[in-house]
Amino acid sequence: MRDFVELIVGAMASGCVYALVALSYLLITRPTGVINFAVGEWSMVAAFGGFLALSRYELPYPVGMAIVIAAMLVVGWLTERFAVRPLVERGAPALAPILALLGMLVVFREIVSVGMGPDPQPVPPMFGYGRLELGLVAGSYQSFTIIVVTALVFGSAWYFFERTLAGRSFEAVAIDRRAAALMGINLRRVTALAFAASAAVAALAGLLVSPNVSAHYMMGLPLAIQGFTALVIGGVGRVEGALLGGLILAFAEQFTVRYAPIPPGLAQGVPLVLLILFLLLRPTGLLRARESRA
Amino acid sequence: MNTRTFAHRLDQAQRADTAEVPAAELLIVKGLCKQFGGLQAVAELDLDVRVGEILGVIGPNGAGKSTTFNMIAGALAPSAGTLTFDGELLAGLPAHAMAARGIMRTFQHNKPFTSMSVRENVMVGMHRRIKGPLWRVWVASASTVRAERAAAQRADELVEFVGLAAWRDADVATLSFGQGRLLEIARALAAEPRLILFDEPAAGLTPSECERLSIIIRQIASQGIAVLLIEHDMRFLMALADRVAVLNFGRKIAQGTPAQIRADDAVVKAYLGDLGAMADA
Amino acid sequence: MKALAGFALTALVLSALAFMLGSYQTDVYRKLLLWVTLALSYNFLFGIAGQVAFSHFTFYGIGAYAMVILLFQVGLPLPLAILAGIGLCVLLALVVAIPATRLEGFYLALATLAFAQLFIVVLNEGGTVTGAAGGLANYRLPEVFGMRVTGPWYTVVIVLLLLGTLASLWRLDRSWFGRACRAVRDDPQAAQAMGINVTATRIAAYTITSAMAGVAGMVYAFVDNTVNPPIFGLENSFLLLFMVIVGGSGRHAGAIVGAVLLYLLPFVLSPLIGHHHALVFGLFMVAVVLFQPKGVIGIWDGWMAKRRTAP
Repeated sequence: MRDFVELIVGAMASGCVYALVALSYLLITRPTGVINFAVGEWSMVAAFGGFLALSRYELPYPVGMAIVIAAMLVVGWLTERFAVRPLVERGAPALAPILALLGMLVVFREIVSVGMGPDPQPVPPMFGYGRLELGLVAGSYQSFTIIVVTALVFGSAWYFFERTLAGRSFEAVAIDRRAAALMGINLRRVTALAFAASAAVAALAGLLVSPNVSAHYMMGLPLAIQGFTALVIGGVGRVEGALLGGLILAFAEQFTVRYAPIPPGLAQGVPLVLLILFLLLRPTGLLRARESRA
Repeated sequence: MNTRTFAHRLDQAQRADTAEVPAAELLIVKGLCKQFGGLQAVAELDLDVRVGEILGVIGPNGAGKSTTFNMIAGALAPSAGTLTFDGELLAGLPAHAMAARGIMRTFQHNKPFTSMSVRENVMVGMHRRIKGPLWRVWVASASTVRAERAAAQRADELVEFVGLAAWRDADVATLSFGQGRLLEIARALAAEPRLILFDEPAAGLTPSECERLSIIIRQIASQGIAVLLIEHDMRFLMALADRVAVLNFGRKIAQGTPAQIRADDAVVKAYLGDLGAMADA
Repeated sequence: MKALAGFALTALVLSALAFMLGSYQTDVYRKLLLWVTLALSYNFLFGIAGQVAFSHFTFYGIGAYAMVILLFQVGLPLPLAILAGIGLCVLLALVVAIPATRLEGFYLALATLAFAQLFIVVLNEGGTVTGAAGGLANYRLPEVFGMRVTGPWYTVVIVLLLLGTLASLWRLDRSWFGRACRAVRDDPQAAQAMGINVTATRIAAYTITSAMAGVAGMVYAFVDNTVNPPIFGLENSFLLLFMVIVGGSGRHAGAIVGAVLLYLLPFVLSPLIGHHHALVFGLFMVAVVLFQPKGVIGIWDGWMAKRRTAP
């Protein structure tokens, strides 16, 4: 029984990481309609940042984490300022920012590969490698950390979008860019903030997942695909959708690996098949976006 | 493929006898209805458009003109009712199938193909005429080249007909709104349609552009093409249409010649808030 | 007639070159020709038909694997294997096209990305059929009537493939179909109103170009005489996209320029940056999107226009 609970805890932790990546997409997609392919690479860069700050320079965890996240906020802002804003303001076709970000994906990856080499690097977990066992519930410290941190992030995100004025302005920009601008909402600031926040969330995902999988320069794209699958499953319009999608994806993955009579390699196909199915059959995801309500 | 030039046919039509011959009904709309949830946008609408005539459809805002237009154009499926075109029942066909049968439409907010020149845009309009089986593109290339050249020539004639000859090779982004409207018309004519649906063609045009538009639509109808015209601009429509149907709240409240409509009580009541417009008409 | 002469001359020149190259240069040359072929067909799909798909290189892989499997596991004679391979490529392309073309823009990109990854997973788990992670190797092009096409003659085959692909795409582009593809790309609603069956057009464009990629893959199978999963991964799909965009999306010349540039650049740059040529590609990509969306061909056009108006 405990075994089963541990599987669930592990799946939840995985799902939370996917959910964070999905949230990272959402923060940019909602106000700007731009799909940021480079999200996975942001996580990857943050993971290496974690390696440097925490493993190599052995800074205390909170300090290291703060530095990495602050650095990624800047990276996000810079990406928007130089790779996206010129295109949006020029009125370039919608595909252009996406392509530019795709180029950035490769650039980020290669820079890290040049700087840090092709080998995976260790990143320490927040509370060490211990395990927690409370009655039936069991799992690694890291798993619980991930779950708690994700809950906090999503809680804040939900609060931000639902209850604060700034968050409502994000929503307004998402629903109608032109109208929002006419209402006096500063589009530039919203977009810059969106990118910065997205990078920070992606950074968090990178820091949280890398203790388990090590920081590696190729880790970005699979993470990006899983994150986007989570987003599509849960529903592109809502913060809660990202969380739901991430959990569903992780559970589908883990349970297939553990219980399905197919070779484990094939289990890698699960998120891919799910993504294709959802795109074809239910592209809006499980949860409806807010503006679809009459 | 029709080898006679467009200009030639136009010329012939203008010289033709204007003897009274009852024109055939090309499009017959019977009992057309459209429901959106609880809202009845169009109810029990009967219309008919005859060959070579200009039927105008007017009505106050929200009368159901656009909805009707979109149902006839195949962009919207009717909730009930029938559409008969040249004797054939059009049962909720998709837009491209309507076009394949010779029903062409213009868009109120011009929708040119932005990556192509004016001439190429018009050539797209010819799709139903020059499309062939795909494999022929590779095999019978000599005849394909000939067809392309002929199509380009016809496109040039049409471009000239609407008055855009100087912009033939221009990028459509350089056209003014009024010129874009003319391109819409040339493109619709390229398919050699039997029925053209105009969606508020005078919207956004200057008075002189409206004049030119009026002349062009008259010439189109004299060619034997049936014209259905949805319009807001009373003055424009009343001067142009042969017959007028008036819609209000999704129903037809009057139909007749412009003179009859002007005198119709029901129509006056519907436009009571718009006495200025009525006075102009 | 002029076009035919031009093609014949080009075929002659490119083939003659094949006979003048050493073994290492031949390998580079062959792969260059194949990349140009792929870039041309991808350019039609992405640049002209406007479909953002990442499945092109996957069909290349499907063609390659299909050829090897049909010849050496099913045991078909070469002519039959070729026909069956082409048929398989067309069929698979059609099967993927039908659901795929219901998706627009980014959703299509995502679905084809997933499809590409799925192909790799299937290859890795394919056991003895696909050779799993190691792939299939140690095979040779079979003899036909006691003759085997090797060396420079095989390069001639690739030249013919390239020119055949170019000629087909050129014809398509200049016909009502090419116009219909552009119309569907620019404004699907208006295209419908013109009588264009948008769905059928999209399916045709996807099927034809993907099948072309598959046929190119069939030819590729005997270039390295080995096929394995890493060759057909996403990296190369991205590279293909970069080639088309950097060269000039929507233009055949752009595809050729982009493929030549991005394929040969690593050889030129390798003393400087070793394996990390992807960095340069990424930077080129970002630079083109930001500063010259029409690509290298756009720069060329601008330069030519200036020369014309200069005194």
